Amino acid sequence: MDPAAGSGALWVGLRRRSANGEGGRGTRRVRVRCRRGPPGCRAPGTMEPAEAEFLAEKELVTIVPNFSLDRIHLIGGDLGPFNPGLPVEVPVWLAINLKQRQKCRLIPPEWMDVEKLEEIRDQERKEDTFTPMPSPYYMELTKLLLNYASDNIPKADEIRTLVKDTWDTRIAKLRLSADSFVKQQEAHAKVRWGRLERFASSVLGVFQMPCDCVGL
Amino acid sequence: MFLSDCRREFYEVIVSQRVLLLVASDVDALCACKILQALFQCDHVQYTLVPVSGWQELETAFLEHKDQFKYFVLINCGANVDLLEILQPEEDTFFFVCDSHRPINVVNVYNETQIKLLVKQDDDLDVPAYDDIFRDEEDEEEDSGNESDGSEPSEKRRRFEEDVIERTMKRRQKREWEARRREILFDYEQYEYHGTSSAMVMFDLAWIMSKDLNDMLWWAIVGLTDQWVQDKITQMKYVTDIGTLQRHVSRHNHRNEDEENSLSIDCMRIAFEYDLRLALYQHWSLYESLCNTSYTSASLKLWSVQGQKRLQEFLADMGLPLKQVKQKFNSMDISLKENLREMIEESANKFGMKDLRVQTFSIHFGFKNKFLASDIVYATASLMENIEKEGPETDNFIKALDSLSRGNLDKLHQGLDLAKKQLRAIQQTVASCICTNLVISQGPFLYCSLMEGTPDVKLFSKPVSLCLLSKYLLKSFVCSTKNKRCKLLPLVMAAPMDVEQGTVIMVGIPPETESSDKKNFFGRAFEKAAESTNSRTLHNHFDMSIIELKTEDRSKFLDALISLLS
Repeated sequence: MDPAAGSGALWVGLRRRSANGEGGRGTRRVRVRCRRGPPGCRAPGTMEPAEAEFLAEKELVTIVPNFSLDRIHLIGGDLGPFNPGLPVEVPVWLAINLKQRQKCRLIPPEWMDVEKLEEIRDQERKEDTFTPMPSPYYMELTKLLLNYASDNIPKADEIRTLVKDTWDTRIAKLRLSADSFVKQQEAHAKVRWGRLERFASSVLGVFQMPCDCVGL
Repeated sequence: MFLSDCRREFYEVIVSQRVLLLVASDVDALCACKILQALFQCDHVQYTLVPVSGWQELETAFLEHKDQFKYFVLINCGANVDLLEILQPEEDTFFFVCDSHRPINVVNVYNETQIKLLVKQDDDLDVPAYDDIFRDEEDEEEDSGNESDGSEPSEKRRRFEEDVIERTMKRRQKREWEARRREILFDYEQYEYHGTSSAMVMFDLAWIMSKDLNDMLWWAIVGLTDQWVQDKITQMKYVTDIGTLQRHVSRHNHRNEDEENSLSIDCMRIAFEYDLRLALYQHWSLYESLCNTSYTSASLKLWSVQGQKRLQEFLADMGLPLKQVKQKFNSMDISLKENLREMIEESANKFGMKDLRVQTFSIHFGFKNKFLASDIVYATASLMENIEKEGPETDNFIKALDSLSRGNLDKLHQGLDLAKKQLRAIQQTVASCICTNLVISQGPFLYCSLMEGTPDVKLFSKPVSLCLLSKYLLKSFVCSTKNKRCKLLPLVMAAPMDVEQGTVIMVGIPPETESSDKKNFFGRAFEKAAESTNSRTLHNHFDMSIIELKTEDRSKFLDALISLLS
């Protein structure tokens, strides 16, 4: 793999002793061309957990308000109207704010259900590759909703455990595949990285790969 | 004036305004403040919080802020004095007073415009009727200038005589009326006592607006328990208020926990408990708790060697091995903990402690955290009066306020540690006072004075700690003395407050009897004694029965008090 020249290149720093001790240093550096993000101080396309959570808060969730308000016009779109007792879809950031001010009751998303999550977890454990997740932000949404609205979500403790199990399995797969990719010096990662969570990139302490990059 | 509709006349008025909250320094006020803050946060009300510990601070805060605020909310302060006279506010300033101090000053009751009282009407207030105390200044001389023109001299003289008779009659009536007024006011203001807890009043407000939460209910419970721990309300009132709160608790916490709807373990639950009266026993060892709770320590007379033996007998009677009892409660054997309450109650009955169990509530969240209401009261009170840290007083207040939120468990645990130290210090001081006969009868009352070199005496320079100490001391003294007359006397307690300035803090508490109505006459008595001897006293606290005075004036003040009360 010859070092790609030019801007937008992203260093992947990886220390590894070569398998049969050849070479003096045992350090292999691989440079990966990144398709997006300007050349800059920080590796573009990576995600801090806080950023991932911020993006997750744009997802829509159903609430049942206890107040009434006409349609509100925000930059991102229109919301409402709000009528007491009638469910309405709002972004998560607004739902959490209203819940903290005791102005609504949150309804958990459909995938946040013990049986469905058990299925997903079992499927994830069976397969070698990543399975599709109900939402790209399932981890952040679970954390937010269970922190602020656990009294509206039945069996919250079990849901937390199931989601964490699924997450652990996926991260283990990620590490495994990245490790094997480097060991075998493959040109392509065996997994479809596009299916990964946005947050996955920051989990990989050693790697800093843009998770949108498919193929290298 | 009393507000009949708190929601419309109080909350909806301030919801669109900036408000200044003046909060007194006791746990009940803290809880009421927490509830009100939670309501304000829901509705984005702008407010400023100023903790005040006495009348001087109240006045200073008012003067500082009176140009910026028109609406003031006073919590647990201000009901028992003439606010308008002390603060001299402008015409368009409004005061909302939520105070448990009684009796409410008559000017506050009958002022129609500026002072609004958030008080439950079913508190027996016995406010004197308006006509008995206020009287329009009639024009006394209205008939003296009457010129009758052109009438006969004899008629004139007759009319003149009649006028004179009328005038003397009127003057006599006025004198009688004034004498009666003085008597009525004296009877009304003679005894100080406490009404419904402010935290409960605030919770009622939240409930009326359907914005009440489990958290607010817990704060109301802590406020009520504070009144009970400090012995401010009668047992009857406590039980009645517990009943009221029990209804709310069942409403909020009745979730049938079945397979379908189990609530997360992190959610807060409140439960009614008929639990032991031992202070902090679940966060301490059972042995320490038995030694440091005033009820058990006084009944078993633990300051004497006999008492220690009785304690051992008591434990043996229950079958609890000493080793188990002296370790942390959480580490006691489960088999012993299972029927602990019933076992202790049975044995306690044998040893003359009939009221070892009390109705209270406990809070439960997460796997580790279970607290009784009294635990929180002790922890918060000791955080508020923490002498260990040097810093502005408001720091302690804010820390204590924070510790009431569930997220600040570290502060709560710090408070629990401080409370343990405080309780130990109180018990040791009580034991030494009783053993060295420091409590002497002065005739109409008992008197005890702490010397400067006493260990932990700095702890007792704060009013709430000193009150707690005096109540425990009185209880223990009543159990220890054989003199029947002394058992019915009230207690005056003095402790050095500031050594440099040479001041002493003095507290008067009512006598300890089975059916005492907790009415305290020392407020007025202290005032009168101070006046008559020109002692340099400072009646700064919201409770009139706590004063500060100069050490030199102490003896003449006491003499005046004795002669006043005998």
